[in-house]
Amino acid sequence: MTGSSPLERRYRALLALYPKAFRREHEQEILSVLMAAAPEGQKRPRMGESADLIRSAILMRLRQTSVPVSWEYRHARLMLPVRIIVGVWLVFLTAVLYGHGHGGWWGAVLVPAATLQLYIAYRLIRPPAQAPAPERREQL
Amino acid sequence: MQEATFLILTALAGGSQHGYGIISDVEQISQRRVRLRAGTLYTALDRLREEKLIAVEREEVVDSRLRRYYRLTPMGEERLAEEAARLHSNARAAMFRLAPSEGVTST
Repeated sequence: MTGSSPLERRYRALLALYPKAFRREHEQEILSVLMAAAPEGQKRPRMGESADLIRSAILMRLRQTSVPVSWEYRHARLMLPVRIIVGVWLVFLTAVLYGHGHGGWWGAVLVPAATLQLYIAYRLIRPPAQAPAPERREQL
Repeated sequence: MQEATFLILTALAGGSQHGYGIISDVEQISQRRVRLRAGTLYTALDRLREEKLIAVEREEVVDSRLRRYYRLTPMGEERLAEEAARLHSNARAAMFRLAPSEGVTST
């Protein structure tokens, strides 16, 4: 194995961000591609390459999450406005609290909550391929 | 279909390829406009495999590095053909409107 060059160790550290199942399946191949693309003597991952690995790792992890649940996908038409309103409301609330100097720990609760709502709204607009199809209304 | 996905499927339409091969091929197909990065490529490959548009053909080890070859499935061929036809018809409409006289004679 050539598994001990400093560059490869650093790439491995970045790949540790991926979900376990994905790593088991693809880590060796991704490393081959990364190492094949690296010019002789390169010591550390390039910025663009690292940013892309981190971004993809986050995407892979989000793809595995089970929110929104399938019920919500089927009732996307009803739930999308709800999620958007709640999300925007939470953002607004956060802004107001910070504006009055009461942010502090509330931010730690409100910001993730708002992010979750808006993420779900985004997923309802652009569902992943395996999501259940929305219920179709009869057209008049 | 996103452009990266379209280009990956197009690369595999010419025969099975491994990851690095796909990256160079996509670069060539897109006339050096699109250079896929490793993270993006494997996120896409993982998804395409889940959707059964591509499949693993074989694996080999070269210089103690794993190479996995991917190929298009019949379903993948179908999807790519549909998408190519759609893009082709859109492009033709655009060209026709921009230059009607040339649009008629081009294939």
